[in-house]
Amino acid sequence: MKEVTVEVIGVDPPCKRCQATYKSVEAAASTLKARDIDVRIFKLKVHSKDTIAKYGVLVPPALAVNNVVKLMGRVPEKKEVERLVLATVK
Amino acid sequence: MLIFIFFTIGYLIYSRIMAYSLAPTMKPADFHGLPIWEIPVAYLVDYFSHGWICLLFAFVAAGLVYEFVPKEAITKYMGGNKITGYGLAIGMAPFLTVCSCTMVPLFAGILYTGAGIGPAITFLLMAPSANILSILLTGEIISWELAGVRIIVSIVVALTAGLVISKTSWGKTIEKEHQLNSSSPTSRVLIAKPPLDERLWSALKFGGYIAKQILPFFLLGLVAVSYVVAYLPEDIVGTYLTGFTGILIASVIGGPLYTPTLVEIVLGKGMWDLGMSKGALLAWLMGQPYDVANALAVSRIVRWKAVLTYMLIAWAGSVTFGLLYGVLSGSL
Repeated sequence: MKEVTVEVIGVDPPCKRCQATYKSVEAAASTLKARDIDVRIFKLKVHSKDTIAKYGVLVPPALAVNNVVKLMGRVPEKKEVERLVLATVK
Repeated sequence: MLIFIFFTIGYLIYSRIMAYSLAPTMKPADFHGLPIWEIPVAYLVDYFSHGWICLLFAFVAAGLVYEFVPKEAITKYMGGNKITGYGLAIGMAPFLTVCSCTMVPLFAGILYTGAGIGPAITFLLMAPSANILSILLTGEIISWELAGVRIIVSIVVALTAGLVISKTSWGKTIEKEHQLNSSSPTSRVLIAKPPLDERLWSALKFGGYIAKQILPFFLLGLVAVSYVVAYLPEDIVGTYLTGFTGILIASVIGGPLYTPTLVEIVLGKGMWDLGMSKGALLAWLMGQPYDVANALAVSRIVRWKAVLTYMLIAWAGSVTFGLLYGVLSGSL
């Protein structure tokens, strides 16, 4: 079982697009589980100082896979999340 | 998908060539004799028979631009020096803020990184007054001249407010308080670009998303506008919304009335038809940046003093440039 960390970076209170991103990630995670990849999902606030110290200014919603921001400012489809995770695992 | 995009753009160009109006064409006189319930219906029918292509184009264009503008540039360069910060704030704000929920987070982000409070304020003021959606609609519904003036004035006002606040002592205090002393973490951002067809699709979906957010309010706003156009006597507009007082009044009511729904453009057009001067119209449209909802959200991050200062500068700017534009265009 490989482990991958996915951080969904959005605003708080959550906006619709951030929630949609989170759902795509959840859906991708359950598919990837069958392929022996354990996706751990975390939520990050885009304007908290910790997030900005780590990643800089981001356009929400953003997505980081294993501590690298791969996507920002748009809502990914489930298969796009899968692709990003798979590319990182390899 | 591509066909749809080309159709939208093509049809807009076609309608331009055929020179028909994309704005509501009904005049106040047309409303006389209509029963109360029929006024908004007639107005909406009139508006959508001309305006649907303009709205469609605006939403498609906003979606496309938002998708393809390199957002990671903000992450990469915002940590740098002040001048790049101001440049980016002005250059990027119009494209990034068609969705209002991103504005305050970005404001905070810019404040916390190296760029500091000046560019953050510039961004905050630039964003609503010159975002791509409202500029497109101002151009199509009112006039491209006014849209151009609106962009220039927005830049000047936003830049002034940013520079002034960054020079004040309490502005510097806020900046120190919030600044992070980490080095620029750009290596942690490596955007993976999906294939083009997926990007186009996501652009259209985003256009649809903003349309869904805005249109219900836009419709309600149009209903309100129809009553204003039908019942507001021309001599009231002529008396109160022209000259220097007209600019003052327009700039004061423009602010609290602001909703991020593009209604102010149609309302402005309606009042312009009723005799509002061009100067007052500009002041009216520039009144937006000091809207209350955003000010509240921002005041949670910086102090009220900074919020009041930028509101005051935005207001003074809208009055000054309203006057200037009124004098220059000969319509005060």
